Parts: sequence; C-alpha cells; structure tokens
Amino acid sequence: MSIDNPNWEPKIVAFACNWCSYAGADLAGLNRLQYPADIRLIRVPCSGRVDPQFVLRAFHQGADGVLVSG
Amino acid sequence: MVAVAQHPNIKMYTYAEIEAVSGYIGNFTVTIRRKAKYVDWDKCNGCGTCETKCPSKNIKNEFDLGLGTRTAIHKAFPQAVPNKPVIDAENCRKFKTGKCGVCEKICPTKAINFEDKDELVTENVGAIVMATGFDLFDWTETYGEYGYGRFPDVVSGLHFERLVNASGPTGGKIKRPSDGRIPESVAFIKCVGSRDDTKGKTYCSRACCMYTAKHAMQVKEKIPGSEAYVFYMDVRTAGKNYEEFYQRGVNAGVKYIRGRVSKIYPRGDKLVLKSEDTLLGRPIEVEVDMVVLATAMVPARGSAELAKLVGFSTDKDGFFQEAHPKLQPVETFTGGVYLAGACQGPKDIPDTVAQASAAAVKVCGLFSKPELATQPMVSEVEAGKCSGCEFCVPICPYKAITMKAIQERGHGGVIERRVATVNEGLCQGCGACVGACRSGALNLKGFTDEQIVAEVDALCL
Amino acid sequence: MKRVGVFVCDCGTNIAAVVDTERVAREATEMPGVVFATTYKYMCSDPGQDLIKKAIREHNLQQVVVASCSPRMHENTFRKAIADVGLNPYLFEMVNIREQDSWVHADKEQATRKASDLVRMAVFKVLKNKPLQTGTIPITKRALVVGAGIAGMQSALDIAEAGYEVVLVDREATIGGRMVQLDKTFPTLDCSA
Repeated sequence: MSIDNPNWEPKIVAFACNWCSYAGADLAGLNRLQYPADIRLIRVPCSGRVDPQFVLRAFHQGADGVLVSG
Repeated sequence: MVAVAQHPNIKMYTYAEIEAVSGYIGNFTVTIRRKAKYVDWDKCNGCGTCETKCPSKNIKNEFDLGLGTRTAIHKAFPQAVPNKPVIDAENCRKFKTGKCGVCEKICPTKAINFEDKDELVTENVGAIVMATGFDLFDWTETYGEYGYGRFPDVVSGLHFERLVNASGPTGGKIKRPSDGRIPESVAFIKCVGSRDDTKGKTYCSRACCMYTAKHAMQVKEKIPGSEAYVFYMDVRTAGKNYEEFYQRGVNAGVKYIRGRVSKIYPRGDKLVLKSEDTLLGRPIEVEVDMVVLATAMVPARGSAELAKLVGFSTDKDGFFQEAHPKLQPVETFTGGVYLAGACQGPKDIPDTVAQASAAAVKVCGLFSKPELATQPMVSEVEAGKCSGCEFCVPICPYKAITMKAIQERGHGGVIERRVATVNEGLCQGCGACVGACRSGALNLKGFTDEQIVAEVDALCL
Repeated sequence: MKRVGVFVCDCGTNIAAVVDTERVAREATEMPGVVFATTYKYMCSDPGQDLIKKAIREHNLQQVVVASCSPRMHENTFRKAIADVGLNPYLFEMVNIREQDSWVHADKEQATRKASDLVRMAVFKVLKNKPLQTGTIPITKRALVVGAGIAGMQSALDIAEAGYEVVLVDREATIGGRMVQLDKTFPTLDCSA
C-alpha cells in the first residue's frame, strides 16, 4: 500500500527518551489527547542511546517512518 | 521566620543565588553565589543607624512595590530576618560619585565594606527542594481597558496587601496612591490574567477568590461607611471554611457583581467601571475611588533558567513540572529534586504548607536509608573489544568514564594497553557512550543493542 | 527457548474499554517463548500480583511481561513481585497499553493491534534480558532548599526538625518571601509573619 491509499496505515517506529518524550507521551495519555494509532514507541533511557544502526534497521525491516525524540 | 533563623540545623544563605548544580540523587554539589552586600553581617548588629543617616534617599522600595521609599543601605522591612542591611550599589552615592561613605563613618561596629565582592561557596547535599514561589502577572503590559497602569489608583492585590499591612508604607491605613485620600469605595476585579486565554493565562490562580474576599472585608472593616464591589466570573471557595469565609464578606455588605469589567476610565478624581451584571442581564456602571485587580500568579522570574540549571522540566506555563499530577505531586522527573509551593503551580498558603511538608517527608524518607540502591542499568565495557580511542570519555555527561591500564596477552608476550572503564556510581545509564563507541565495546545493561534491535524487529514483523 | 509469561491488565475499564485484552493475551500465546498468557482486572492489586507469582511457579516461567499502565508508574511494583518468588527482577518488561494506547486512541481495532504489537516488542526484548544486580551508593544527608518563602521555610524546618542539616538559600536579603508582604491571611486572618 502507499500513501495515496486512504486506508494506508504507516508503520512508524519512535525512539522516545524515558525522561522527556516518553514521559510526555504518558502526559498526553493523562490528558486524553488523541493521536493516530500508527506509532509504536520504543523506550530508551536517553535519545543519546539511539544508535544510527537502530534507525537503519527499522527502515530495512520495513518501517515507513522513524522518529527520534529526546 | 525566627524559628528558621535560629534552628541549629539550618544554614541560611540570603542574598544568594544558585550558580551551578552537579551530581545526582544523594550526591549533589551545589555552587552558591553570595552577592556582595557591602556590609559585614558578622560585625553588623542591625542597629539601623546607617539607614536613618544614608543620604541616598527616596528610592522606590521594591518590597512595598514602589508605594514607599527606602535608602540605598536598607533592610527590606524592619522585621527582616536576618535583621541586617545591604547596600544597593546602583543607587548608592559612594558607588556613583565616589564621595559619601556616611554609613561607614557612623557604623558603630565598623561593618561597612565597600570592597565587598560576590563570593562563591560550595555545598554538598543529597536532596534539593525547590520552593521559588511566584510573581504576579504584569497586567500593565496587556490590559489596555484597565489603563495599562496609567491610573495610579488601579493597583494589584499585592499593592493592596502593602496598604493594609500595619508595617507597610501607610501604617496599615488604606490610602489612595494618587493623593493619599482614604477611599470611600473600592472595586475589586477578579481573574485579571487568570482564566483569560486571549490576554493572560488559561489557568485559575486559585488564591484570588479568597484574598479578594478578605480585601473586600478589610475595606468594609477599616473604612466605616465604605462600599466594596467585587466583579467576578465565578466565586471559587473550595477549601475548608472557605465558603463560610466568603459568606462572611457577603454578610458584611460586600457587593458581588457577576460580570467582566470592560473598561475603566477616570471621571474627576474618581474611576468609572463599565461592566455587565450578567445575573440581571443589563449593563452597569460603578464609580469608585480605587480599583484592586486580582492578577494571576505566574512563575517567579528566573524560574526557567533555574530549572535548567538544576536539571528538571517546566510545564507549558513555566511552572515546575511534577512527576505525576496526582501520585507524585512533589517529585520531579529528576531523582532527589522535590517541589514545594507555588513554583509547581498557583496555590494558597494551606496548600503550600501541606506540599512543603510533603516534600520534607520525601527528603527525610530518602535520608532514612543507610545508602541508596543504584539502578543496575549502567554502561559496561567489554575490554577485549575496546580500542582505547577515548571517544566515549568526553561524550559522557556524568564524567563516569575513565581510562585504565590492562594487561593482555598477544604478539607472543604480555602487552599493556589502556581501555575505558565505567564508574557505576556516577553512570546514570543514558547510553550516550554506547552510540558513540566505534568498536562496539560499550553496551548499556537493560538497553543493549541486541534488546533494542529485537524490539525494532518485533515491531516491523 | 526461555519460558515467557504475559499478563495483560484491564485496569478496570481504563484499558479494557478500548483494547480487547482477551485478544491481546490470546495473540501473545502465539509469540516466541510465550508459554502462558492471561488477563486480569487490576494486575497491580494484591490478587493480581499473586496471580503473577502463582503463574511463575506453576508454569516455571523464566521471563515476565506485564501489559498495563506506564512503566513509570508500576515497573517497580511488578519487579518486586517477581523478585518475591525468586526471579531476578530485571527479567521483566512492562508494556504501556494505557497512557500510550487506550487513553489516546478511540478505534478499538487499531488500539488492540497496537497493544499486540507492543506486547510482541516486549516479548522479543525480554528474551534477550539478562539478570542484573543493583549496587549501592552513599547518601549525603543534607538538603538544599531553594527559596525561603512559606514553602521553603516549612520544608526546611520539617527537615531540620527530623535531625538533618539544611542549606536554605534565598536571593533576597531577608527570608519570608511573598508571605512577609502580606497582611492577615485567610481563612483564619492571623498575621503572616
């Protein structure tokens, strides 16, 4: 499927820092802020932990997008 | 206050600011800047002679929000703790012209020291309680309809506190700042800056409903025959005995009018408030002698910089972010750093005291343990793979990586080389070194490359 | 292959109203290493923890995955629970299907699929987990209090009364903060000094 198809559900892998972005995602939950369900968070202790190889690995394995947040 | 100053376990640094904080829970090193006071507090006996003789007079007193005046050498107020003065170098004649030194000449204990300099001191602590409080929203920047601060008799609630305070500039008499006349009618406007997302803040400042009720009652009490009007959006009295307190005001004759004031303008020496009484559904005009605005609480100036310095986060309004709004209201996301009072969000005195005691209990709980269990998710080095490039050493934000010599067999003999080693007490497990390690010798326990790659693979199946 | 147990929490209706927890547990049994999967209304409660402990013994579980709220909330609760029955507490992974799933998505199908994906992610990870040991560090039993208004003074006094040293810092020359500017304070109208 592609981006032109309205039913397309992208596979987005996010690396989220435990102390800010992951906590922020928790806060979004506490406030019941709604967002698309296509994103999957991988908790890392710090965005500095994200090795470029993880990003490449995700794309190689078929991820449509990678978000590194910290 | 005196109990704090006299407590043998409390070491006070007033006129001082936090310069730097390093370390982690249980082991912080704090650098404190003691600002130059130009008065040796060890010698000063607080007699106050200098204040009476200082020729640099008529400086607006910040403590009274400009309602009163002070001298260059001054105490904030007569009951200050410690009860010792400082010299405000910016306004001091000696500093400005080089000539004066009256205080130096008359000081009976020879405590004046014009050569005084800022001084840095270091303290080691295991926990930090942030209690930096609030400032008031500057309404003069945004509220044009209330005159942008052009009308001297439109003041904030804090100004009013100084006017009714027995040790304030008027000795506790409510007087108009413009002409010193005692007002016969005072209007109070609530939610100035609070609950106003177009001009101010979205949140409710929580204490204003109650202090406005108090102010209005004080007007009725101190000025016989006076009128007090309160313009409000809602009256929020959620607290023990709060509703009863508000009803006391209503019974004392305070007139509550539900409506937003749309304009204040002068008529003669009076002020006219235009509003709508939304309960009666008609426009209304009230003429008064003085207007008091219940302005929003905002984080104290410098809060954001301080949060960055100590290393924890702030919320969308700049208040300090608690770790959980319900279950961890005094913790931050940073271990060993706790919050107390209005720095975490607007609150009144009872709530502040409760939160301050809660923060204290958290600190005592931490201190009650003989030692602290470290989290085991720290970096480790596989010495055999480490090339000794030292690239990880400057990367580590906690200075946890050093180099050590190891002996290895190879090339037909024993050779010595240097490899990285991790101090597990200092390592906070961020893993920055792992990403930086070119030879794949570093790994983070609990978040190894294999574990994270397994997660990526599982998600992309 | 190590033996993994998966425990999916309903959190009352906080999770179960949006995520089909039964289906998540069922799908978990298909994942590598998983020999046991179940749901429970409140996994963090005593009966919930007992359920985990019992399953560890009965099914000889070596690794545990709990899908419930944020690990920032209950990670330590579950680590302690599995340590109680002799498992190393780090042979455990937590899946956030509340704050980062049921609370932020409305579509049940999508939310359930996300929950399953997140559980699979944790199962794959936990298979690579190794036992870890905690160390200890000393604590400097002195506190710094920044700001000497009501909040700072109260905290400092409480800590000092408990017998610990306090360093109290304020940028003003006097302590007292905003409080000393105030006249009588509500609701008792006593003086503020």
